[in-house]
Amino acid sequence: MPEKMLGNDIITADKINKTFPNEVQALCDFSTRVRRREVLVIIGPSGSGKSTFLRCLNGLEEIDSGSIVIDGVPLDHKKENRLEIRKEVGMVFQLFNLFPHLTVLDNVSLAQRLVRKKSKKEASETSMELLRKVGIPEKANTFPNHLSGGQQQRVAIARALAMMPKVMLFDEATSALDPEMIGEVLEVMKNLAQEGMTMIVVTHEMGFAREVGDRMIFMEEGEIVEEGSPDQLFTNPKKERTGLFLSQIL
Amino acid sequence: MRTLIFPYHKIPAGGPRSALLIDVLKFLLVIGGITWLMVRGTDMLGYNWQWYRVPQYLFSFENNQLKAGPLLDGLMVTFYISGFSLLLALVFGLTTALLRMSNSFLATALARGYLEIIRNTPLLVQLFLIYFVLGPILGIDRLFSAVLALSLFEGAYASEIFRAGIVSVHKGQWEAAYSLGLSSRDTYSRIILPQAIRRILPPLTGQAISLVKDSALVSTIAIYDLTMRGQEIIADTYLAFEIWFTIAGIYLVITVTLSTLVNRMENRFRVAI
Repeated sequence: MPEKMLGNDIITADKINKTFPNEVQALCDFSTRVRRREVLVIIGPSGSGKSTFLRCLNGLEEIDSGSIVIDGVPLDHKKENRLEIRKEVGMVFQLFNLFPHLTVLDNVSLAQRLVRKKSKKEASETSMELLRKVGIPEKANTFPNHLSGGQQQRVAIARALAMMPKVMLFDEATSALDPEMIGEVLEVMKNLAQEGMTMIVVTHEMGFAREVGDRMIFMEEGEIVEEGSPDQLFTNPKKERTGLFLSQIL
Repeated sequence: MRTLIFPYHKIPAGGPRSALLIDVLKFLLVIGGITWLMVRGTDMLGYNWQWYRVPQYLFSFENNQLKAGPLLDGLMVTFYISGFSLLLALVFGLTTALLRMSNSFLATALARGYLEIIRNTPLLVQLFLIYFVLGPILGIDRLFSAVLALSLFEGAYASEIFRAGIVSVHKGQWEAAYSLGLSSRDTYSRIILPQAIRRILPPLTGQAISLVKDSALVSTIAIYDLTMRGQEIIADTYLAFEIWFTIAGIYLVITVTLSTLVNRMENRFRVAI
């Protein structure tokens, strides 16, 4: 694969702290930057704060202190900024979270029409294009509960892409899938990365991390333990804890 | 493995059809028993049934034209009051539910205050308060007082139904909608309420039926609804048994129709989930 040209910083997270009401500190002075077209993979044991970080990035969780700036827009208490960021940041959830009362096509079209103010026809055309891209145009008029897990997750990816986001966040997108369906979802994600989408991926799929990731962060208890290229972390971890974790899950 | 067999899971040898037949026979037996008791009871009272005098209060023929009798006139008033109260109760209910779930302290306090006051005082007292106290102050008439009292009362219960339905929608639905950049309003109207409505509809029907029945209370402020008309006729004719049975029957027809309609609607709503 030819060396990818990364762009300037699109996400800047500076010293963010997040403590949940139950006193669990999920993020502890967590800082990182993400460049355009970069694929950042975050790994770590459960409860290490990786999902919380993703959720903070589009304002699903409020941070206690620190700052997040995405493509020049600060994520603060201003409603417009928050909406602006959510428009530009797509998110894919572990449990898909498709809208069960809408057809696949409507799932993908809804936000284009309500948020991007596209006409029904225009939105449907974009949606069909995206459904072809994720490989299930024939399911456009079915309801989500008639789809397999892998198909549902691919629709969820199409739904997020429909907003033409600048960044895509994947929160353990394959963890709830049956093993035989993981491949089809990873394939879609791989294609996205190749097209140059900026992505932050929380995952346990180490093969994917190594093949697609430009950079990898291993975190524990809300802090970065080690950071580097996936190859370096896999073959030559600097911290003992990183090696131990990787040996446990590989 | 131990299997538990409950007797009512057993299907008789004849299959489901004979099970239905047996159910119908049981039902007829019970109805027959009750009728026999009634007839015997009234015989002992020496009550003189005069059902033939009832129809004239429902409708009459004048100059070859069908004319509604006092009971049907009253029924129209009941419909009118219940219909308007139901619409207003839905508005009050949804508004209160949204206020109660908002982040504003004032809004929550307001909603809770309303709920506590309404649910912990009798409807009859509320009706009198609105008609005799608020009515003259605010200059609202009898009919509007009745509609206001009923809708405030049923709205409080409806709001709890709305709230439960909204809360029952999975958290991931909010998050998915927000992550797409949808506003709170769009999230409610396009994502949350359409899903909540399926769960809300059955208990809300129960509330609507309560409303129709509770509307009989408006006869106490001299509104000529179905119940009031009945009392009037009985005062004139002493047909207590016949008229009360007729009125009960009419209420029953309304409420059963209502729940059948909603059942149909539910089936239509049940696309996904």
